[in-house]
Amino acid sequence: MTLLRGKASVDLRNVCSPALVVLVLVIVLAGCGSSGSNSGGGNGGSGEGGGQQGGTLTILAASSLTDAFAELGKIFEQQNPGTTVKSSLGASSELLAQIQQGAPADVFASAAQEEMNSAVKDGLVAGKPEIFVKNREIIMVPKNNPANIKGLEDFSKPNVKLVLAAKDVPAADYALEILGKANKEYGAGFKQEVLSNVVSREADVRASVNRVVLGDADATFGYKSDYTPDIRDKVNVITIPPNLTIIATYPIAALKDAKEPGLAKKWVDLVTSKEGQKVLKKWNFEPAAD
Amino acid sequence: MRESKHLKTPLGLSVGREWLASGLAICALGLLAGFIAVPILSLIVWTVNEEAWGAMASPVAREALSLSMRTTAATMVILVVVGTPAAYVLARGTFRGSRALNTLVELPIVLPPSAAGIALLLAFSRLGLVGEYLNAFGITLSFTTVAVVMAEVFIAAPFYLRQAATGFAEVDRTIEEAALVDGADRTAVFLRVTVPLAFPALVAGAVTAWARALGEFGATIIFAGNLRGITQTIPLAIYSEFQSNIDAAVALSVLVLGFAFAVILSVRYLSRRAVEYRH
Repeated sequence: MTLLRGKASVDLRNVCSPALVVLVLVIVLAGCGSSGSNSGGGNGGSGEGGGQQGGTLTILAASSLTDAFAELGKIFEQQNPGTTVKSSLGASSELLAQIQQGAPADVFASAAQEEMNSAVKDGLVAGKPEIFVKNREIIMVPKNNPANIKGLEDFSKPNVKLVLAAKDVPAADYALEILGKANKEYGAGFKQEVLSNVVSREADVRASVNRVVLGDADATFGYKSDYTPDIRDKVNVITIPPNLTIIATYPIAALKDAKEPGLAKKWVDLVTSKEGQKVLKKWNFEPAAD
Repeated sequence: MRESKHLKTPLGLSVGREWLASGLAICALGLLAGFIAVPILSLIVWTVNEEAWGAMASPVAREALSLSMRTTAATMVILVVVGTPAAYVLARGTFRGSRALNTLVELPIVLPPSAAGIALLLAFSRLGLVGEYLNAFGITLSFTTVAVVMAEVFIAAPFYLRQAATGFAEVDRTIEEAALVDGADRTAVFLRVTVPLAFPALVAGAVTAWARALGEFGATIIFAGNLRGITQTIPLAIYSEFQSNIDAAVALSVLVLGFAFAVILSVRYLSRRAVEYRH
């Protein structure tokens, strides 16, 4: 800070000639950089016109889709040689905010209708969104189950460390809906007591599941699809009674400002195809048709 | 030396080159200053246009602000009380392993905060290396305000230690020894002679560390979690609000901006006073 200034006072002339060299270099490089990216953009455009050789498909997807979309991405790249699939995974609410701020992406796959509806309302979506899959909310507890949770009704016990996804994240919205229904079942005040046990609101559903995987939290709400093989030795699943549970519906759509509209459509086709549905089923999702 | 060399070159060429060089250097400064000013201005423009001022007084903002103040204050007390003598030992001590210790203590500066957060989690969470034993005594750290302070200390400590140690190293040993000869004991010399002489460096270190603690995000959200009033400091609140309420996120950012301004100005003032005091 100011205090360091005394020591740092250097004769300007000593600095100037190296500074000049650096500056000229920077300007030259900046020039190269911008012309380079321009020609890159041009290539992308012409590639698209010339029968879609190559190109990068950018997908914004709910974090619960992490594993299924990774597998589908590999299939897509095999089916469309030269293309690269890039997925940005996060809470649907966060992805929506990114799209609203102009994030460059081709496809949006949300874990709830609400976020997709907002995107449609803001005119950010090309065409009509399609429901492509369903998911089921479940409870996850660490294998050693320190709070001895046997069902949803135990969530209101004192000193249970409960983790939820952040406000407006679909998984958390669904969880609140479930707690609202449970209020009628387990007595008024149940939801309030459960919410007072919340110790952290995590960025997305996968982050809250990881709190249970690490054994720091006693329980969280997740999706059936979040119970992936790599966490099965650390986590137990408790189902939510059918009359209280919520079925999450996942809409997908190509985005209006997509740089690769052709690839975006192909991705939606793959995800809704028989092959795509098989992959999603493998990762514990339920078919949209049911 | 340099001066005379410059005078020997033909006058016209030298002057022309110097003009060009200083012109370009000034352009460079203008570019950088603009690059920093425009985003800051954008925050204020948004706040004015969207009339987001009200969001500054929202419960989320007030709780985050209060928590950030309390945790960074605790961090600073810990750093000054523990860090000051530690920095003195680092500056003066030449013992076996002192260089390794120096490197270790500076490591968090280079470590990405998110990596620091994972490290803290694996050490102090309920199933962590140390946390497991703490848990046996009924102490859990994750999801508590204490965990926020731990993350801040971990990240900010090197900034204070490094500048304080540099300050101590620059204190003339003969002055300390003279005071010792005069019959003062070591503690008195440290408190009455060494600390006052190194004071500007200590203040600079403390302010940098405080600023770093205030901005701490990655280690806090990973190690301490994110809950309003307990672990959601200003940076976490900005991140959380960005998903649902951009106005509030912007308003919080402007609030911190105001703080940053106030801090820089008061440090300028304090350090000027300190320098005047020394002369």
